[in-house]
Amino acid sequence: MKDRFTKLLLALSFTLLFAIPAFSLDGTAILKKVDANLQPESFESYRKLINIEPSGAKREFLLYTLKKGNDKIASLFLSPASEKGRATLRLGDNMWLYIPNVGKPVRITSLQSVVGGVFNNADIMRLDYNVEYNVQKIDDEKSEHILELKAKTAAVAYDRLKMWVDKKAVVPTKIECYAATGLLIKTLYFKERKPFDEGIVRPSIIETDSPLYKGYQSILAYANVKKRIVPDEVFTLEFLAKIETIR
Amino acid sequence: MKYLRWNFSLRSKPSGKTRRFVRLLVFVAGLFPASDLFPQEQSQDKPKFEVDLSEFQKEIDKLATKPYSLGGFAEFQPTLLGIDRDSAVSRVRFFNKPQGSLFDQYNFRLRLEGSYKKDWFSMFFKTDTLVRNDFEGWDEDTKLFEAYASAKPNANFILETGKKVMKWGKGYAWNPVSFIAPPKNPEDPEEALEGTTVATADYIRSFDGPLKTLTLTTALIPVYEYVNAKFGEPRRVNFASKLYLLLYDTDIDLMVLTGSSRTTRYGFDFSKNLTTNLEIHGEFAVVNNLDKMAINASGQGFRTQSDALSQLIGLRYLSERETTYILEYYHNGAGYSRSQIKDFISFVDRSYQTFQTTGDDSGLVRASALLDGPYGQPNVGRHYLYFRASQKEAFDILYFTPAVTSIMNLTDGSLTVIPELAYSPMTNLELRFRTPVLLGKDGTEYGEKQNDYRIELRLRYHFGF
Repeated sequence: MKDRFTKLLLALSFTLLFAIPAFSLDGTAILKKVDANLQPESFESYRKLINIEPSGAKREFLLYTLKKGNDKIASLFLSPASEKGRATLRLGDNMWLYIPNVGKPVRITSLQSVVGGVFNNADIMRLDYNVEYNVQKIDDEKSEHILELKAKTAAVAYDRLKMWVDKKAVVPTKIECYAATGLLIKTLYFKERKPFDEGIVRPSIIETDSPLYKGYQSILAYANVKKRIVPDEVFTLEFLAKIETIR
Repeated sequence: MKYLRWNFSLRSKPSGKTRRFVRLLVFVAGLFPASDLFPQEQSQDKPKFEVDLSEFQKEIDKLATKPYSLGGFAEFQPTLLGIDRDSAVSRVRFFNKPQGSLFDQYNFRLRLEGSYKKDWFSMFFKTDTLVRNDFEGWDEDTKLFEAYASAKPNANFILETGKKVMKWGKGYAWNPVSFIAPPKNPEDPEEALEGTTVATADYIRSFDGPLKTLTLTTALIPVYEYVNAKFGEPRRVNFASKLYLLLYDTDIDLMVLTGSSRTTRYGFDFSKNLTTNLEIHGEFAVVNNLDKMAINASGQGFRTQSDALSQLIGLRYLSERETTYILEYYHNGAGYSRSQIKDFISFVDRSYQTFQTTGDDSGLVRASALLDGPYGQPNVGRHYLYFRASQKEAFDILYFTPAVTSIMNLTDGSLTVIPELAYSPMTNLELRFRTPVLLGKDGTEYGEKQNDYRIELRLRYHFGF
């Protein structure tokens, strides 16, 4: 009897020992999976940015975006006519804005907004979350993980993020963005999942609101997200005025 | 002092021109009711906005098949000018015109842009038509700002030829290293400029490591009777080159212009984000054997040749309240000294007295030619400070940006202050209201400019097909 009990205990111990990694929550792995599910590492896409004012008035901006690897992203404004030809480039922590009238790229900062509204440059030219943030804490709820992320450097636009991740789809449903002071800057809501390239299901709409912009709302809608690998030289200041030619 | 005269003119009874201008401003203001400007609380039962993804897809599909684009803007800019009748510039400009101290001016501008692309080949053009009405009547001026063809056999090479703007430098208000493009107007530095006819080749390489990007730009600039005639000595071909490096997250440019139309000049600029909200930039330029013409108080001209060293250092800072501050110091090595500017003003004063007593206008005619040339550059002095503060979405009004800009001649203490309100009440429509005020004692740069102040409204409507 004692022998059988010992064997059972041993079997149970082994089972638990090997079961632990399966239940353990590896926040970094989840964050990397979130990034992969939100967008391919290198891609092109069309995005519509919609600013909605408290009166209900809205203004739409259409952007063509190219991203490559961990640190390169360029966007070109296709409409409205007043913004057409504007282009932004991000290389790591460096950001530039090209305005056709000005005729040369100028450095901009991540906290500025080239279009106004709740989205800032860091939102529009977002790199993968795992590139800019470390997972500090992970909580487990019924259908969601809750990741608490801390910026790796002071150059990142938001000091901390709180991310709700759907366990099944491994995509965020909500992200709260905080300043270093603990101030909630904005909340992002990820909605309307639909299949994009190679059938990968991704959120197609990101809504945001902010206690700093009461009554205002901004929406980013995605379409034609496709894997595309272009030469690194496309992500340079000289090419910024010519992105339209490779669209 | 200049501001005393300005105050006096404000107290005087408004003229018919002023009344006409104010009526126009009131009319324009009436087009945009206050309810549109100030945010209203969002109604709780307002339906949630839904994005129509199928419409979005149709819009993209339409764009994807369109190889061309045509667009631009139409602009109307009424301006009221408060003339300083006793200033050197207005004496030169208006000595033979019975013009009062106020006049209104109406500018209509049409800017057209178009492009076409096919595979690795593309073309672009930009035209500018300005129609002006003021006390002198109607005037029209159409310019081809840019028209060039571009070929990109691969991502490493870009070849272009035609008329295009080559803006070099990192400064916001001034660019001493901009050896090819015409100088910007520091009061409106974001406005488009007329291009130069060139043939250029860009070689671009990206790397991993501290050096992320290298771009070598070379340009040939021909100067003939009908091509780049204002650039310098005709029947010459000039060569320019710029090496750009993104090194340790710093933009660095090294540039040179040489040839027989202008003396050889070298430049260096840099720009770097020190923090997420603070950027620093600078420019250094050397012009070899700069040929400079100046006059003494008697109007006797003399030429000097010497190297001119110009520098610019600037900061751009974004505060937590989203106020953007730009501060730049500019040393214009090619500028005139305080005594040289005073000599020019004395020459104008003497010529004006001669005209009043004898009717001989030859001195003023000569001064007018000098104002169209070397003495008419945007900033002719040597030391300047530029400051601009702009508040994004002030009073929680989206697309509303109030700003104030000031440019000071540090040598004589004169300055201009430009309060500005910019607002976009609807898609593609931009309004800008500015009231530049010029302040300075007699004999100073801004004290002797044509205007005491300007009141200008700009309505710009963008369109595209």
